Amino acid sequence: MVSDSVAAVPIPSAANTKNPGKKKRTNRSAKLKQYKIDARREQWLNKGAVKNKGCKDGMDDDVHVPPSSGKHAKQELEKLETRRRGEEDDVLIHQESDSESPSNSPVSANSSVLCGNDSGTNFTGSSSSGGSTSSSSSSGGCCSGNITEEEEDEDEEVEEEDDGCLDDWEAVADALAADEKHQNSSHNEPAVETDSSQSREVTGGSGLGHPNSKPGSGGMVPRGSANARAWRADDAFRPQTLPNLSKQHSMPNPDRFFGGGGPWCRTSVPSNCPICCEDLDLTDTSFLPCNCGFRLCLFCHKRILEQDARCPGCRKQYECEPIETEASVHGGSLTLRLARSVSMIERNQYTFVSINVKAGQ
Amino acid sequence: MQASRARLFKEYKEVQREKTADPDIQLVCDDSNIFKWTALIKGPSETPYEGGVFQLAFSVPEHYPLQPPQVRFLTKIFHPNVHFKTGEICLDILKTAWSPAWTLQSVCRAIIALMAHPEPDSPLNCDSGNLLRSGDVRGYQSMARMYTRLAAMPKKG
Repeated sequence: MVSDSVAAVPIPSAANTKNPGKKKRTNRSAKLKQYKIDARREQWLNKGAVKNKGCKDGMDDDVHVPPSSGKHAKQELEKLETRRRGEEDDVLIHQESDSESPSNSPVSANSSVLCGNDSGTNFTGSSSSGGSTSSSSSSGGCCSGNITEEEEDEDEEVEEEDDGCLDDWEAVADALAADEKHQNSSHNEPAVETDSSQSREVTGGSGLGHPNSKPGSGGMVPRGSANARAWRADDAFRPQTLPNLSKQHSMPNPDRFFGGGGPWCRTSVPSNCPICCEDLDLTDTSFLPCNCGFRLCLFCHKRILEQDARCPGCRKQYECEPIETEASVHGGSLTLRLARSVSMIERNQYTFVSINVKAGQ
Repeated sequence: MQASRARLFKEYKEVQREKTADPDIQLVCDDSNIFKWTALIKGPSETPYEGGVFQLAFSVPEHYPLQPPQVRFLTKIFHPNVHFKTGEICLDILKTAWSPAWTLQSVCRAIIALMAHPEPDSPLNCDSGNLLRSGDVRGYQSMARMYTRLAAMPKKG
């Protein structure tokens, strides 16, 4: 008994003496990392403090804060007001969002919307010190959207941040603006109305809010007439935010930053799988495994089926789910898409049925 | 392996792009290993954790989007659902309710939500859970606030 305990003692102690040497080495790298993280925290907190002050000087201090948060707020705004500013912004944003973030898992889409809102409120909070009207940008509702002079200035700053094709876009925008005036004077209203009846349906369906129903466009006299009309499908001034039936396949996700979230966001076709980030091919894009509208590639779908077989979007089991067409209230374009996917699923069911019949025979 | 890497790269890009989007979360990827992440989250306001900055360690498994990341608190925290010594977190979405559509960012958000709404009925920290279950909210809050001050506040001077 006694010898046992004596023999048992040295082993752990030896282990203990060995460990510190090893630990020291790992500790050093860990310390280095910790130091980095601490530095980052320090930086972050300072930034937060500056932000909270909400003064413009602070925002100028670190250049990276206002543009990105401003960008979000701007994107919100761009969605809210149908269109008031130069087209270059719209195009620019969509180029960005297309190239940088072509995918949309529901969570990321929602989260980005959330973030957009967050930063939007931050942004307005800080810019309201200069103060005219910034109430419009904080609202998540569909049709408000006066943009203040100040925010426009911010936007210009943002534009300056964006390098590359900007000069060209400005030139194009100038040309377009000149052209627009010409159009306004030459077009008579009824013709435009009849022309735009189709695209107007789409506008209503998208929930963007009809341009005519916009309450607060009083401040913008010079472009008031431009605001009051809808756009033809081939109109150059038509904002990119409006869903275009022909474009839906080419544009990965035009409504990524569109407020509101919900099923509408989810049903748009992402260009790559939100799970594995591989590109979705034609079969994948026409594959709608769950009626929550969460899309993913067949490969990931199979892997999930092998595991717990729950939809990543809504966590329901994949099988035995009735296909509802409730979502059709959201607009014409959606019903079209749903109809297609539903038909595909129905086809699958038919094949199942036929197989069963054969087996029965 | 490849899929998880691609996915993590995408999340990394997303984090870089939206760095200032969520003011309460800082996600940092390890310099040499994309499967190790560190997050700094701010304690939610109107909770005993307000004013504190908490560090989380993410360890991402090989089959990541299909399996949840392992997360634990590196900063000491007094919370019913966080192990006081190991920092382990008891959160359903990190275990059974995980969905591949979630991201590291959304996990951070969930943890912030958990901090604001503790679940004393499945406690990892029994002391904290018992305080809440016995209705001693003030006791829980003062303990939690004390540990926030001790461990999660930046030291001055």
